[in-house]
Amino acid sequence: MKKSEQRDLFPGALEMMILRTVKRQPLHGYALVQRIKRASNDLLQIEEGSLYPALQRLLKDGLLKAEWGVSATNRRVRTYKITAAGEKHLEREVTSFEKMLDGISRVLVPVKS
Amino acid sequence: MNWLKRIFSREKLYADLSDEIQEHLDEKIEELMANGMPEAEARLAARREFGNVLAIRERGREVWQFPAIESFFTDLRFGLRQLRKNPAFSAVAILTLAFGIGANTTVFSWISSVLLNPLPGATHPERVVALEELAPDGESKRTSYLDARDFRDYLKQIDSMTVAREMAFAVGSDTVIERVWGELVSGNYFDVLGVQPEAGRFFSIAERDDAPNAHPVVVISHPYWTSHYHSDLSAIGANIRINRRTFTIIGVAPENFHGSMPGETFDIWAPATMFGQVNSGSDWMLQDRKTRMFRALARLAPGVRIEQARVEVQAFAHRMAVADADTNEGMSATLLPMWQSHHGIQMSLLGPLSVLMSVCGLLLLIVCANVANLLLARATSRQKEFSVRMALGAPRSRLVRQVLTETLLLAIAGAGFGFLTAVWLSDSLRWLVPGTGIPSLARPPIDVRVLLFTVALALGVAVLTGLVPALQAGRENVNETLKDRSRSGTSSARTRRLRGLLVVAEVALAVITLVGAGLFVKSFHLARGIHPGFDSNNVAVAHVNFASAGFSGQQADVFSRRLREQLSHEPGVTAVSYSDFVPLSVGGDSWEDLQIQDYVPGRSENMKIYRTVVAPGYFDLMKIPLIEGRDFNMQDDRRHDPFQPVMIVNQEFVRRFIPNHDAIGRKVHGWGAWFTIVGVVQDIKYFQINEDPIPYFYVPARQIYRPEDGMTFYVRTRGSVQQAMLALRREAQAADPTVPVFNVTSLNDSIAGALYGQKIAASLLSVLAGASLLLACIGLYGVMAYSVAQRTNEIGIRVTLGAQPVDILKTVASDGLLFTVAGLVIGSIAAMAATRMISSMLVSVSPADPVVYAAVTAITLVIAIAACAIPAYRALRVDPMVALRYE
Repeated sequence: MKKSEQRDLFPGALEMMILRTVKRQPLHGYALVQRIKRASNDLLQIEEGSLYPALQRLLKDGLLKAEWGVSATNRRVRTYKITAAGEKHLEREVTSFEKMLDGISRVLVPVKS
Repeated sequence: MNWLKRIFSREKLYADLSDEIQEHLDEKIEELMANGMPEAEARLAARREFGNVLAIRERGREVWQFPAIESFFTDLRFGLRQLRKNPAFSAVAILTLAFGIGANTTVFSWISSVLLNPLPGATHPERVVALEELAPDGESKRTSYLDARDFRDYLKQIDSMTVAREMAFAVGSDTVIERVWGELVSGNYFDVLGVQPEAGRFFSIAERDDAPNAHPVVVISHPYWTSHYHSDLSAIGANIRINRRTFTIIGVAPENFHGSMPGETFDIWAPATMFGQVNSGSDWMLQDRKTRMFRALARLAPGVRIEQARVEVQAFAHRMAVADADTNEGMSATLLPMWQSHHGIQMSLLGPLSVLMSVCGLLLLIVCANVANLLLARATSRQKEFSVRMALGAPRSRLVRQVLTETLLLAIAGAGFGFLTAVWLSDSLRWLVPGTGIPSLARPPIDVRVLLFTVALALGVAVLTGLVPALQAGRENVNETLKDRSRSGTSSARTRRLRGLLVVAEVALAVITLVGAGLFVKSFHLARGIHPGFDSNNVAVAHVNFASAGFSGQQADVFSRRLREQLSHEPGVTAVSYSDFVPLSVGGDSWEDLQIQDYVPGRSENMKIYRTVVAPGYFDLMKIPLIEGRDFNMQDDRRHDPFQPVMIVNQEFVRRFIPNHDAIGRKVHGWGAWFTIVGVVQDIKYFQINEDPIPYFYVPARQIYRPEDGMTFYVRTRGSVQQAMLALRREAQAADPTVPVFNVTSLNDSIAGALYGQKIAASLLSVLAGASLLLACIGLYGVMAYSVAQRTNEIGIRVTLGAQPVDILKTVASDGLLFTVAGLVIGSIAAMAATRMISSMLVSVSPADPVVYAAVTAITLVIAIAACAIPAYRALRVDPMVALRYE
């Protein structure tokens, strides 16, 4: 059941955020989710689990690498790292996203004023 | 092969994902507890934040799968398990589907072999078309050898053209004679059809000229080669005796080639120029433009459409009609695709097969509705399963796919059995084909086309049956269904309404098939009651082939008179005569262009009048009343000088052509001589039992001799027809052992073919209509029984509150009757529209025949009431105590 107040992300948005976050620093799933939530000031209500199918997709496309290891808190974790292909993909996505955002805001501005 | 590796390493990927999710939850719980939350609460919160673990895990896994295919296989496995779990349901569904699909596939295999593939063995058969000449009134005629030669030489849009004439040959030595059907063909026959020899060669260029009787060579069929020469190559070059002439075998046709008449099989092909040799030296057939005895087949020139070529053929025929006005005045010609050609079995099968195919289609729809109904009933009991799956996060589309996969499984199993049935029944086309004398293609090949049709049918059926239940799946409110523990599987009002609609559709479809069958049954019954105008009881007949004995007219006359004399001394025999055509049998379309004294034909009037050559005593034997004048006698022969030819005409002839109706003594011109009318006889049915009166005339056997037609001897007896048949055979052998005698039978049997189509249509359609009614009633029963079972406690309560049995009965039965009546009304209206298309195939029955509709209504109501009665009875016996205990 979906909560009605929760905003659906557009397709590819979650992937983009994951890549961006992991690019800064390799992370494991739980940390990744907390980081995204915090970074968005909790504005984005992400169902924590939905991260995992997205991670699997990125793994499959070779945009991320994963490795099992032990965390600082002595926990068995699977850490994700961005690949060269991932960086390129991210760059492309961000550019096109910014263009889209720019276009949307241009349409929205006159209404507000 | 990255994806291959992935399939094998997938277990590891899945395990990683599960571990990871578990670690995530653990970490979350730990963190929440560190913030002071109690453990139990932390666990719940972690899960809530995370979302549906199972669904997420599944979605994560799907990333690595080929989702469409793999979930299909999962559905398939699950579907198979479901089918195994409900063997009764599966068996019923599969068997009814097999019945429906089998019937359709069988009829399609007939259509495929007769209509879609009329010339097996030919190359690009779709480019081969029939050239038919048209009489002034538009009736299709064969072509003459001379006309065909002109068409062949002058037409531009046609690549090549050939002619063929079917003929029964007497093959063998003088004492052991076998009848073999073959074709007399022009030399380029095999080239036009694009056939290559299996062994030896076909006709050479030298053998293709128009020189009469110069090339005694034949090509034999593959089956004949196998049965008579053990497929030995020594057959090439061997001599073969045909109609007492020696021919040389030059080649063998390929196995799948059977000749140029759709549906018929031939074993010998000889050059048409040998016509005289196989017909006692008379080759007038090749030199007379009026003798239109050949079928013409043409291959269209590359890139030319049949419509274009047809224009040229018409234009050229009109030029011939002027240039050869004495023989071709008013004639035209056309090109037809082979399946529309007037020669071959496809013409008589086109109508019946299309009706059969439509009825089978209706039957299949009923079957689909029935299975859909079963599925809907089962879906109600599976609601919980669906609800649980939805609760676990299955999207509705997945459930829809699941249901469709299951119906696909059912349909495929049904199609498998159906296909086997069709293979098993493929021989049965024989039953449909009236005996033409020529062996017909008994076993239509079950080819790729039929297989594809079955597969397409299975897919169509899966969608048709699955659609409604699939859309219904998962429509129920998950919460409601899961909460409702007291009653397992009640159906929603929506499902009930759907099932009702399906039953109405089934009844309506069944009514259409019933009306169709009823019309044909009545038509057959009436046709059987039509008096043909002659008495066919107690008469034995036998066909004698003079041509193969090489008889001249004189010899034939001597033989016939001797045989007649001997037969008349047989005990019990009351009359003996002979003619060259048996009315209402196949063939006998012999006609002559007549010119009648004092009669001026209209511009497009067809003066090609059908005729029979008869011996004296024929009308007496057949009990055809002589209206005025006299019968032929033995003095009506060629010996008189001058030749005094005579004829007897029928009443319709008089009505049409003789002003003042004073027929006796009038002169009629035919065969290059003026005949005198000496008698008038009553009309009979000549070709079809339901035909309108046809102008017809008879000429004496001693004046007109046509060896290629042979003679049929008739013996009327007081004793048994069997005895008379034996006597016929024995005496014919005694009169001359070299004369082949064929088709010894009773007159009743030989005219049975005239009712054949009616009989087949009536019986086959009755079977199919009966089956559809039965299926519709099973559907009705299912719905009724189910609704009673559902309402058991309601009924219980009402009985406790004092409801009378009548009230209960009313509530229960009214639904069923409502469905039935609705189906009846809709079905009858649809039938009115649909049966208009078959009106031409009905004998003296209007497609809106009130008796048929009344009978169909009555039968449907009775059966429907029976189908409702059992559930209603069960409702009456509901014990309130038992019923309420369910609550």
